[in-house]
Amino acid sequence: MTQQTAGKIKVSFSHALGLLGHYIKNRVMTQVKSVWLIIIYLILFQTVILGIRIADASIIAIGIGLVVAGLTFFMEGLFLGLMPLGELVGVKLPQKSTLPVILGFALVLGFLATLAEPAIQVLQAAGRAVKPWEAPLLFLLLTKYSHILVYSVGAGVGIAIAFGMMRFHYNWSLKPFIYILVGLLVAFTIWAFFNQNMHTITGLAWDCGAVTTGPVTVPLILALGIGICRMVGSAESGTMGFGVVTLASLFPVLTVLLLGTFLLGSVPGPMNEADFFNKKNRKAAEALFNNKDKMVHYLFSNASIESQVAYFDGSKEKMVEYLEVLSKNESKKKAIFGDDPDALKRWAISQGTEEQRYSVFGSLDAVKKAVTRYSTSVKKAVNVPDLLARNTIVAVKAIGLLTLPIFLVLFVLLREKLPRSDEILLGLFFTILGMGIFSIGIELGLNKLGNQVGNMLPSSFKTIQLLEEKTNIINFDPDSVESAISPDGKKQDFFYAKIGNDYVPIPYDEKSFDPATKQYQCTPTKGPLFGSEGSFWGIAVVLLFAFIMGYGATLAEPALNALGLTVEEITVGTFKKSLLMQAVAIGVGFGIAMGVAKIVWNIPLLWLLCPPYLLLLFITKLSTEEFVNIGWDSAGVTTGPITVPLVLAMGLAIGSQVGVVEGFGILATASVCPILSVLAVGLRINWKRKAALTEAVQTAKEESLVDGI
Amino acid sequence: MEFKKRVSQITAFVNRNISKDILDSLKEVGVIALHLAAARSPVIEDRKGIFALLPGRDLVDDPVDIISFLVDRKTGDHVLSLIIEKGRLNLPGRGSVYSEEINLVMAHELCQENKPAPFATEKTPFQKLTGICCIVQRGQGESVARVALDTGICVPSLHFGVGTGVRDKIGLLRITIPAEKEVINIATSPYDAEVIMEMMIEVGKLDQPGKGFIYLYPLKKGIINMKVTRGEQRHAASIEQIVAAIDHIKGGIEWRRRSGTVEKKGVKRRAYLSGLADLTLLCDEGTGTDLVSVAMSAGAAGATIARLKHVRPPDSPLSEVSPAREACSMIVSDNQADGILKALKEAGAFTDSCHGQVQLRRVPKAFTYSEIA
Repeated sequence: MTQQTAGKIKVSFSHALGLLGHYIKNRVMTQVKSVWLIIIYLILFQTVILGIRIADASIIAIGIGLVVAGLTFFMEGLFLGLMPLGELVGVKLPQKSTLPVILGFALVLGFLATLAEPAIQVLQAAGRAVKPWEAPLLFLLLTKYSHILVYSVGAGVGIAIAFGMMRFHYNWSLKPFIYILVGLLVAFTIWAFFNQNMHTITGLAWDCGAVTTGPVTVPLILALGIGICRMVGSAESGTMGFGVVTLASLFPVLTVLLLGTFLLGSVPGPMNEADFFNKKNRKAAEALFNNKDKMVHYLFSNASIESQVAYFDGSKEKMVEYLEVLSKNESKKKAIFGDDPDALKRWAISQGTEEQRYSVFGSLDAVKKAVTRYSTSVKKAVNVPDLLARNTIVAVKAIGLLTLPIFLVLFVLLREKLPRSDEILLGLFFTILGMGIFSIGIELGLNKLGNQVGNMLPSSFKTIQLLEEKTNIINFDPDSVESAISPDGKKQDFFYAKIGNDYVPIPYDEKSFDPATKQYQCTPTKGPLFGSEGSFWGIAVVLLFAFIMGYGATLAEPALNALGLTVEEITVGTFKKSLLMQAVAIGVGFGIAMGVAKIVWNIPLLWLLCPPYLLLLFITKLSTEEFVNIGWDSAGVTTGPITVPLVLAMGLAIGSQVGVVEGFGILATASVCPILSVLAVGLRINWKRKAALTEAVQTAKEESLVDGI
Repeated sequence: MEFKKRVSQITAFVNRNISKDILDSLKEVGVIALHLAAARSPVIEDRKGIFALLPGRDLVDDPVDIISFLVDRKTGDHVLSLIIEKGRLNLPGRGSVYSEEINLVMAHELCQENKPAPFATEKTPFQKLTGICCIVQRGQGESVARVALDTGICVPSLHFGVGTGVRDKIGLLRITIPAEKEVINIATSPYDAEVIMEMMIEVGKLDQPGKGFIYLYPLKKGIINMKVTRGEQRHAASIEQIVAAIDHIKGGIEWRRRSGTVEKKGVKRRAYLSGLADLTLLCDEGTGTDLVSVAMSAGAAGATIARLKHVRPPDSPLSEVSPAREACSMIVSDNQADGILKALKEAGAFTDSCHGQVQLRRVPKAFTYSEIA
C-alpha cells in the first residue's frame, strides 16, 4: 500500500486542470439533465403546437445558459456551504444550549427566511387583476398591507420552525400536527367560503403556504433539522429531520387567514364598480389605498369611464378640469402617476377617452402627434447594469439574511469554530453567485419563454387578440373595407393590408378606427386552434400542456433536487432521489392541471382543496412516519423559482381570457397533489416490504402447525 | 485507558421493521450501549409480465439497521443466540448477525464493552464465516454488491461513508474529488471468501487507480441472510429453503464450497496486501476529521468515516457520550498501529471531549490499486 505522509501534496497545473474539468463537466451535466425537459418542451410546444416563432430567441438562449450555470453554482454551493453549515448548527445547538434558546433561534430564523426570500412579488403578480370593489380584503392585503401580509407569513414560518424543533426535541410524530392543522385549515376555508370577503383571500392564503419556502430556506432548515435529530432523536425515531417544511407550509396559511379575519371589520363588502367610486362610499373605499392620490391613479388606470365620472360627482366637466390642472401641475402629476414624466400622456393615449386626451394635450394637433408617438409599443432593451444590480441584491439578501443568524449563533452563542472554513465559505460564495446568475437567467430566459407560451396558450380553445403585435395604420381609408360572407349568410367586413410583400386580409372592427386622427389600431387574432370556440379538445390540450409543464418544471426545481438528495442520503439509498422526484413531478403536473381547470371553469377552490386534504388525512393515518414526513415535505418544496413564474404566466393569461378575478389557487393545488402521490408510492413500498418480511414467518408458522398435527 | 483486551463484537444487519424488537430485548438482558447505523440491503426482484420487459434496475432495497456493540467473550454466544431468536433470523429474508473477536486497545471509560449478566438462550446452529468489506465511490456500490446476490452468497449491506486521504492534502482543490463512499459488507463461508473477493475486485475494477479498497476479515460465527431474490415462487420449496435444509442435514455449510465451480476470469496474479489491521476509531461527531489527520500524520493512509448513533438508556451516566458518533476505519500495517495509537492518545482522543474507543481487527488479505502491482 502506498503510504502518504501528512502535509500538502503539490498538484501540477495540468493535473489540477484535469480535475477541475471533470468536476465542472459533471456538475453542469447534472443541471442540464434537470432542465432540458422543460426547456425543450416549451420551445417545441410554442413552435410546433401553437405555431408561433420565438421572439427574442437569442436573449432567451443566453438566459437558459445562465439558468444552467446559475443552478450549477447554486446547487454546489448548497452542498458545500449552506447545508453543512445548517447541519453543524443543528448538531451543536442541542449540545450547548437549552430548548428556549433553540426555539427563539427558530422563530427568528423563520421570520428572516420569509424576508430573505419574499414571495410577495409573486403573489402580487398573481393578484394584479384584482379589483378593489370585487375583492376589497384581498386588494388591501396585496397593496396597502402587503408588508403586514409578509410579516404574518414570516410569523407563520417562525412558529412552524419552532414547533418543528420542539417536535424533534421531544420526538413527537408529525401526524397529530397534520391532523390538527389541516383540520383547522379546512374548517377555516369552509367558513371563509360563506363570507364574501374572506372567500376571496382563501386562494391567497393557501398559495402563501406554497410559496414561502424557497430554495435557500428549504435546504437550510432541512440540514438544521437533520443535525438536531442526530443529537436528540431516539433510536427508533422515524422523523430523521424532515417535517419542518410541512409545518412551514401549513402555519402561514393559518396566520394569513387569521390576519384576514382580523382586518375583516375594516373593509367594506364587495360591491359593484359604480358604487365603489360613489361619493357615499368614498371613505370606505379610500381606506383600501395608501392615500387619495393612489386611489385617483387606480381610478384612471383601472376603472371604467363611468366610474371615473362617478368619482367626480357624476360631472364630466369636473373630471376634465381635474386632468387639465393635473397636466400642468408637475408635483401633483408625480404624486399620482409616478416618476415617469410621460406617464400621464401615455395613459391618455392608451386608455383615455377623446375628452381626456384633449384635456391632457390641450389641442387636437398635439393629440394626433402623440398618438403616433406613444401608441406603438416600445420594446424595452435589456438594461444590463440594472439587471445585475437587482439580482445581486436579491441573492446577497437571501443568503445573507439566512446565514447571518446562523453565524451569530455559531460564533457568539455556541463559541464554535468553523470546521473546513475554506470549503464552507467557498460554498456560500457559490450559493450567492449561483442565485444571482440563476435569477438573471430566469428573468431573461425562462420567464420570457413561459410568458410567450402562456399568453398564447388560450388560443388553443378560443380566439385571442395578439396585443403585442398591435400596429397602428395611419391615414386609414374606411372605403378600402370590403365585405365577405360566410355559408350561413353572416357578413364580415375586412380589408387588405400590405405587410412586407404580402397582402394580408384583416377583419375590420369599427371600434378600432379613430375618425378624428384617421388611424386604425390593428390587432391580429389567433385561434381557436383545436375545434370551435371553447371546445373540449382545445381545453384538453391546455390541461395536458399544464400537466407536462408542471412535470418538467418540477424536475428542474433546485429545492426539490436538494430534498431528493437529502432523502436519498438519509435513507441510505432505500428511497432513491429519482423515485421521489418522479412521484412529486407527476403530482405537481396533476395539481397544476387541476388549478388550470379551476380557472377555466371557475371552480371554487374549496372543491379542489378540501377533498384532497381530507383524503390526505386518511392516507396519512395509514402511512409510516418516514413517508409522512418525506411526502408532506415534498409539497412545500415543489413550488419554487422555476415552476412559479411559468405557472403564473399561464394562469394569468388563461384567467384574463376567461375573465377570472385572480390567478390564485394553482400553486395550492400544485402542492396538495404531490403529497398524495408520494404517500401512495410510500404505501406501496411499505406494503411490499412488510409482505416480504412476514412471508418467511408465515411459512414457518404453517410448518409448525403441520408438524403439530 | 489502555486495555488491549479481547472482546466480542456483535454486528447485526436487520430489517428496520424488526430492529426495535431486537433493541428492546438487548436492553432487557443488559446490553446498554450500542451503535446504530442506517444501511440498505438490495435483493433481486423477479419481475412479472410487462415489467420484465422494461429495462432498468431489478433490485429492491430494504432499509436495514446495523446494530453493533461489544460484549465480553463469555456472553458473546448467548447474545448472538438472543438476537437470532428475537429477530427470527434463522428464517431467510430477515437479517444477518455475526460475532467476531477484536482487540479493544484503548477506550474512554464510558466506552467499554457491555457486560450483561449470564442468561439462558435456545441453542442455535451457527455457521463459520469470513467478512468481506469493500469501499468504493458513492454510486458504484450496487454493482459490487450484486456479486453476492448473483452468486447467492448472502444479502449484502450497503452504507455511506466519507473518505479522507490524499483528497485532504490538496487544499481547496479537494472539492473536485468526491469524498462520498459506499461501504459494502458481506459475510460468507471462509471457503468461498477469496473467490468472492476476486469477483468483487473484477466487477468493481478495483485494480484501477481510485476505484476502491477491499479486505477480508475473520469472523467467529453467525447466521447470514441468503434470501437474495424476491418474487413469486415457482417450485415446491425455494432454493433458500433447500439450502437451509441441506445445511441442517450436513450439519454445516462446508458442502457449499464453490471454489472449484466459480469461473475465474483471467489468470492475472494479483499483488494482495497482507499483514494489515483495521484500526477503527469510534468518537464523538465532529472530532473524527481532526483525529484522522492526527492518525494520518502518524502514518495512516486515510480513513473512511461513517456516522453512527450511540444508543443508551436516557438516564444512564453514558449520556455524557454524544449520541452522534463517528466510526473512522483505517487500514494500517501492523507495525504502524502503535504509533497511531500513541498519536491519538496525545491528541486527546480518549478524553471527555472525544470519548474515543479504538478497536483493532486483523486483516489477513486486502487489495487496492498500487503502482507496484
